[in-house]
Amino acid sequence: MVKVHRPRSVVRAAKALRELNPGIRTSQNRFISRAEQEQDGSGAGRRSPGEVAGKSKEPKPSSAEESPWWADRRVAVKDNIATAELPTTCASGILKNHQSPFEASVVEQLRSIGASIMGKTNMDEFGMGSHSTNSFFGTVTNRPPYNRFSVGGSSGGSAVAVADKLVDIAIGTDTGGSVRLPAAYSGVVGFKPSYGVISRWGVVPYANSLDTVGILARSCMKVFKAFVSMREHDPKDPTSLSEMSRTRAYTNGRNRWRDLRNQHDKDFHKLRIGVPEQYNIFELDGRTRRAWQRTLMLFQDQGCTIVPISLPSTEQALPAYYVLAMAEAASNLSKYDGVRYGTRSTSSDGAGDVLYSESRGQGFGDEVKRRILLGSYALSSDAIDNYFIKAQKVRRLVQQDFDRVFSMPNPLRDLEQFDLSKMDESIPLNNKLGPSQVDLIVCPTSPTPAPNLDDIANQRPVDAYINDVFTVPASMAGLPAISVPLKTRDADGPRFDGMQIIGQYSDDDRVISVAHELEKLLRIDDASGLWRKGYRSLMK
Amino acid sequence: MARIAPHVLRSYLFGGHVLARGCLRRNPVRSPALQKYHSTQASLADTDPAPTIPIPFRKQLKDEAKRRKAEGSGKKAKEDNQKLEDWELTVGIEIHAQLNTARKLFSSAASTINDVPNTHVALFDVAMPGSQPAFQKETLIPALRAALALNCTIQKTSKFDRKHYMHWDQPSGYQITQYYEPFARDGHITLYAHDGIAKEDGGRIDIGIKQIQMEQDTAKTISQPGDIHLLDFNRVGLPLIEIITLPQIHHPSTAAALVRKIQIILNSVDACVLGLQSGGLRADVNVSVRRRDGEEGENEYSGVKGLGKRTEIKNLSSFKAVEDAIIAERDRQIEVLDAGGKIEGETRGWTIGSTETRRLRGKEGEVDYRYMPDPDLGPVIIGQDLIDHLHESLGVLPDHEINILVDDYGLTTKDAMSLVSLNEGGRHEYFRDVVDEVQRLAPEQDLKEAGRLAGNWVLHEMGGLSNVEIDEEDPLRMTSDGDCIIPSTELAQLIHYLDTSKITGKSAKKVLSELFSSGGSKSTDNLIDEAGLWFVPLSDAEYEELAKSILDTRVVEQILAGKDGKINFLVGQMMRKDGDGRVDPQQAAVVLRKLIEEFRK
Repeated sequence: MVKVHRPRSVVRAAKALRELNPGIRTSQNRFISRAEQEQDGSGAGRRSPGEVAGKSKEPKPSSAEESPWWADRRVAVKDNIATAELPTTCASGILKNHQSPFEASVVEQLRSIGASIMGKTNMDEFGMGSHSTNSFFGTVTNRPPYNRFSVGGSSGGSAVAVADKLVDIAIGTDTGGSVRLPAAYSGVVGFKPSYGVISRWGVVPYANSLDTVGILARSCMKVFKAFVSMREHDPKDPTSLSEMSRTRAYTNGRNRWRDLRNQHDKDFHKLRIGVPEQYNIFELDGRTRRAWQRTLMLFQDQGCTIVPISLPSTEQALPAYYVLAMAEAASNLSKYDGVRYGTRSTSSDGAGDVLYSESRGQGFGDEVKRRILLGSYALSSDAIDNYFIKAQKVRRLVQQDFDRVFSMPNPLRDLEQFDLSKMDESIPLNNKLGPSQVDLIVCPTSPTPAPNLDDIANQRPVDAYINDVFTVPASMAGLPAISVPLKTRDADGPRFDGMQIIGQYSDDDRVISVAHELEKLLRIDDASGLWRKGYRSLMK
Repeated sequence: MARIAPHVLRSYLFGGHVLARGCLRRNPVRSPALQKYHSTQASLADTDPAPTIPIPFRKQLKDEAKRRKAEGSGKKAKEDNQKLEDWELTVGIEIHAQLNTARKLFSSAASTINDVPNTHVALFDVAMPGSQPAFQKETLIPALRAALALNCTIQKTSKFDRKHYMHWDQPSGYQITQYYEPFARDGHITLYAHDGIAKEDGGRIDIGIKQIQMEQDTAKTISQPGDIHLLDFNRVGLPLIEIITLPQIHHPSTAAALVRKIQIILNSVDACVLGLQSGGLRADVNVSVRRRDGEEGENEYSGVKGLGKRTEIKNLSSFKAVEDAIIAERDRQIEVLDAGGKIEGETRGWTIGSTETRRLRGKEGEVDYRYMPDPDLGPVIIGQDLIDHLHESLGVLPDHEINILVDDYGLTTKDAMSLVSLNEGGRHEYFRDVVDEVQRLAPEQDLKEAGRLAGNWVLHEMGGLSNVEIDEEDPLRMTSDGDCIIPSTELAQLIHYLDTSKITGKSAKKVLSELFSSGGSKSTDNLIDEAGLWFVPLSDAEYEELAKSILDTRVVEQILAGKDGKINFLVGQMMRKDGDGRVDPQQAAVVLRKLIEEFRK
């Protein structure tokens, strides 16, 4: 890995921006850094948004839908979401020249309300990675003093663009934690909505049945604003939640955000917060465990009830997730053969005895190749019963786990009667009627704070997969989940950790608004310094 | 019974040819330019043979008759190939047919037969990164019609799966098909002797249909000189159905008959475009053999146990190829087994005109398609109301029509098949109109008798009419609704007069030809009046005069000498001489005998 000397950020400039400053084009890996911009005087970091966006887009026609709030909002888009004016490379060598002829629905939606699309952000190739190190264009790194730590992946570029204040909001994709994990490691808010609520049309799929478009911002309020602007039924996306289900499951309204907060002012103490005992794993870092305790105490101080719960399928969720995601990925990536898509190798298509093996071998990075091979194996006629089919069954169990613990029924499924005799022994019963139910689940986003990049370089691939252990279950069940950042500190200095709030399907609004309350509580707690004192007494 | 209207319209709009209404309608004349487009578009095979026109039903019948005649006269040519003493052949067939729909299976791009290449392509058709499928539910309609016509059970829930293999004609790297849960299962097709099944199968045989699935077509490869391949994505994503039969066929000609029959049925319910020969239909066959007296085979295919190891022959594009390839593969397998060898499960190919199948790839080279449920596509839920509606509007299938014509109307199977197949069913409509009218004129007449009589005139007498000045392909101008140049009421009137001896057969033929050439402007009554063709019996005097005029002393002497049979010769002479057909042979014979007796004296 190339030694990184200066902070490299993430926003790839709009084509027009490059034309404006031809020098930028020669910058490393086609990703301009803020430092470079400042050096050559373009000052993109300080440039007023209109100036930059105006180049990538004609002056905006003002539409009735345009809201004043959005007028000066800068948005960055992950590079696996199609944009008509900028290349869409998925950070892969095989798509390095791909210019999409159409635009993703989410990009159109954001444009239509007046947001300025600033550029495309770096990522792990095709979303495959947990540290944004698997990019054809180079590793994404954070600003000092965090530059030695992983930014998280795969939407690492989006997270750092937000953390660096290059943009107000960044759009990422979350398949198994790809928005929440970088949000946690980079110190921003990352939200993965319920599956099917935001359109995937124009999102280059990693694993279609798990993929969601996620939102990163520095505050929950901004996340909410972006979320309500994008949650529309899209007939072009066959997995988009139908209009009928939406009217049943979601409340809209001009003052939705205010209404939610008013409700919390009244009823916050009634919240029942679930703490899954299976998440208290051996690998859980001490700093993260303390952050978790701190969060739960903050909720408890507000009068919320903390309820231990059991999600017995958690242990199987991670391997099952990787089987499913890799199988779908192997299928999705088979289109890149150099004929229609992908850069074509100079040798013949049939070279090496397997059609297109040369083109695909040259175009894909190592991690992508690894996942294609594993996914193809999981689907092969010898292995499908033991891997793919089993993983689908585990997925079903994970969904049932969540449906059992949430007091709100899953609007997509018929109310399920859980037979007590068939319930896992680990599930504590509240009374003779069964286990207690909760409104939300609070747990860490990842088992450790942002790891050191040098440590990651020495890891085995499987070690990186373990980072997703807390994010994957919500993805498997299609549930809304948000990561709220917490700062931790040790001998190495400060770094970031994330707390995750998971809600029942379609409970997105409450998930974001409770995260907003947590955000406030953390800010007050940080300012008062009470936590640090309280922590010391706790440790005694 | 206006059938196949959409494809008529399509052939007019896209193919530029107006439907010919005669029995030659399956041989449309196209401009050479259009023909070129057609030929590059129509075939599922990569390198297209020039399109051949589907065998007209009549020719099929003729060939069938010829074949049976040959069998009867003891000529043994190919027939030896149908049955073997020691070995039993088992065949299963997969037929791919292109559905007759306006749009592709998963995009709203138009499904065209011939247009400028790459002009009807949606983002999803070329697998543009980030695009998603949009299932076009209208494609279900022809697919369901086909499944209902083949007696399948429609599955309430069916799903789409991805079948992975890489080829340049497949932009996404997988084909979307229905592997785990097809939309139709457990059907059957009944084949009769008249369909051309092997005589060992007797009068009829039922072949089970395991399932029917919907799937996507691939892009069309147009090969250029110099190892250049051009791709036309107009064809990619067109909806196909794959019909999979059970391995229940034991004779090569029955296999060919099955493919042909499926084509006829798919056409009659307006489910598919184009026939097998022109590439809209394509068949793969799997073949195995086992000894009749030996122990059972170890293999089980589609639930049929005890079979020999099977091989698959891909991409057969004509009925003849189906039959010939099966014979060649069967003989090859027997030869291998006789020599103590083993049959390998492999995929083989067949070239038209060849005598042997050739190995394409073996088990070790077999592609693992890694079937996976498509994560973008939800299940297809088919409501019972739709199934009921399509069932009701399916119309009468060809077999049922033929049964009615044979059982109720007294026609021969051969005539019934001709009637059903001519003029898009218009000849049949016309026939029914004529019979109705004849029955109205003579209510006491037996339906079978009326049917036979009308059948003879509608098919054979009218079939003989021609006029160089009018459209040669269809001198009768028969529409599919059963209207033609000769009104059915006039023909019925004519038949009625003939049947009640108001006119002679000869006169009737003359009147028919007049009705035809007058273009329907004159009525039957008018024409008979004008030409004075009403049948007036000859008086005794006239009979005598006529008899005397032809009497030949030499013949008379022979008769007197005892050769009584010669009297018929004289009757014939009288009838010929009269020319108007008024001579009643019995009456003539009586008169003749009287005169000859006078000679004796």
